[in-house]
Amino acid sequence: MGESPPDLPEAAERRLAGGAFSSGLSVSDFGACLEMGFEPVGLVQGFCAMHQGSYAMGGALSRSLSPYGGSGSGYVQNYQCPHGMISNEHRMWGQNYEQTWVQDAWNQGFTSAYERMLEEAATLGAHGVVGVIDTQMPLGDVGVVEFHVRGTAVKVLDTPAPTSSPWTTYLAGQRLAKVFEAGYVPVSIVAAVSSVRVWAYCITEYLMEGFAGSMWSNATSSSSAVEIEQIVTAQTWSRQRVRSLARAQLHGDALHGADLRSSEREFEKGDLEIEAVLRGNRIRRFKDFDPLPVPQPTVRLS
Amino acid sequence: MTNGDVAKSPIDTKAEVRRAVASLAGKAPKTESTTSDLSIDEELNLHSIGWEPVELVSGVSLFSTPVGLWNWGEGEITSASEAHALAFKYAIGRIHREAADAGGHGVVGVHVERRVYSTHIEVSLLGTAVRPVGAKSVEPSNVFVSDLSARDFTLLMVAGWEPLGLATGASFVYAPRRSMGTVLQQQSQNVELKNYTDAMYSSRESAMERMQQVALELKGTGVVGVKVVEGPMSFAAHAVGFAAWGTVVRLVSDAHHFVRPTMVVSLNDSGVAFDAQSLQ
Repeated sequence: MGESPPDLPEAAERRLAGGAFSSGLSVSDFGACLEMGFEPVGLVQGFCAMHQGSYAMGGALSRSLSPYGGSGSGYVQNYQCPHGMISNEHRMWGQNYEQTWVQDAWNQGFTSAYERMLEEAATLGAHGVVGVIDTQMPLGDVGVVEFHVRGTAVKVLDTPAPTSSPWTTYLAGQRLAKVFEAGYVPVSIVAAVSSVRVWAYCITEYLMEGFAGSMWSNATSSSSAVEIEQIVTAQTWSRQRVRSLARAQLHGDALHGADLRSSEREFEKGDLEIEAVLRGNRIRRFKDFDPLPVPQPTVRLS
Repeated sequence: MTNGDVAKSPIDTKAEVRRAVASLAGKAPKTESTTSDLSIDEELNLHSIGWEPVELVSGVSLFSTPVGLWNWGEGEITSASEAHALAFKYAIGRIHREAADAGGHGVVGVHVERRVYSTHIEVSLLGTAVRPVGAKSVEPSNVFVSDLSARDFTLLMVAGWEPLGLATGASFVYAPRRSMGTVLQQQSQNVELKNYTDAMYSSRESAMERMQQVALELKGTGVVGVKVVEGPMSFAAHAVGFAAWGTVVRLVSDAHHFVRPTMVVSLNDSGVAFDAQSLQ
């Protein structure tokens, strides 16, 4: 074992020094791991529970506080009522804005959990961590999110001790072996989040309530099918933003096997929080592609 | 699909892994980053025909439909059919534009998410822009969008065909309510509800015709990998919907190249001796 980082729990030090290795690998992945010349040295984990400091800013109450508060530094787009009405019932303004504090909290929670996992791996003298699994779960309904990152630390046999932080990958087993054989080496897992809050203005509200084609929907054509522009803009922006955040972590490498998931939470009609999470494997080419023959289709007889 | 020559030239995986890991000590490359949601198998498939992933791309659209649309009426619910068609059209247009901007010649493996609500219809597309290795950008009008996986795309190209675009068609139709007299008369009978059967046929025919019309507009020969979503909707007891989408293809070789499969016995899975699932 290497030197323990200062914030590694004492119980973790005892567990990691236990002698027998642990792993999160299936038997077939374990077999593939040995075939690649990896020695599993321990199931390593990092946790972090994060509270979002400005959680209340997303609540319905804040609509009455500031019409154009926004997020300060991030993306903001304003929408103005075209009807000229002044009423408490009528949403005279709307806004899409980036929830930078939600993204910051997510990044801090994920990075802390990830680095704690790496600390455990480094303590074991591992070169890398394979088969990483990460989860984020809300802890009750108080704006707290638990971040869990775990994987199997491995040493590369017949290789000098690592001098830098372990590499990581979501892949394990046969798929990881193919990555190496294809001429790539895993660098790290990549995860990013984007969060947009939509405060619907009157047009968006009416369209979401099914008043397409009415005088209130501000339709410019005779068609009763009208695109809900404010929400489409927010959805498009959140997907583009999360991809650019992930891309910023690549530094010339490739993002492979990306998984982009978008979710929405509706507070009131048209008032949404849109979140997009992107995960993938950052990989680097270490040799040119060997010329590949055209694949031969097969029919399996079992 | 398998790579038939692998067995002839086995790779020393352990040596490759050691070489790969040692390379991490060097500097990061100065190439432009690429992003994709392809698996390593799919990427290798693409490379075998000289293509490469470029960028993860997406397109979304959300169209409003009038409230109260779904419950009373006769014939097609034209507003809903129109909203569905437009939502697909706009989402396809956006993913197409992103792919063209990224220098892709097409998009493969497009995941289609489609949701129909009582007040709006939402379409979300996500896929990977691809191009022949190192190729320059092409005219945006020549960029295709396909929901075929990279594996199916490879197989299609090897067979001498090319994808042209995503074709969709949908139709929502009222199932007219029966009169009180008919309801009472049929109460104790086993009887086909013709109003629902006719509505299903009507929506299917319109949707399939629309999808095929798109294929013709794209100058395609046919549509492969057609997905179908049909049936009643939870919020509309007297309406049925039918939607279909798939990839428009065209033969570009002189003739179809028959791809003859090789029989293999896989050693990956446990043998199945008894598979009568219906008895469970």
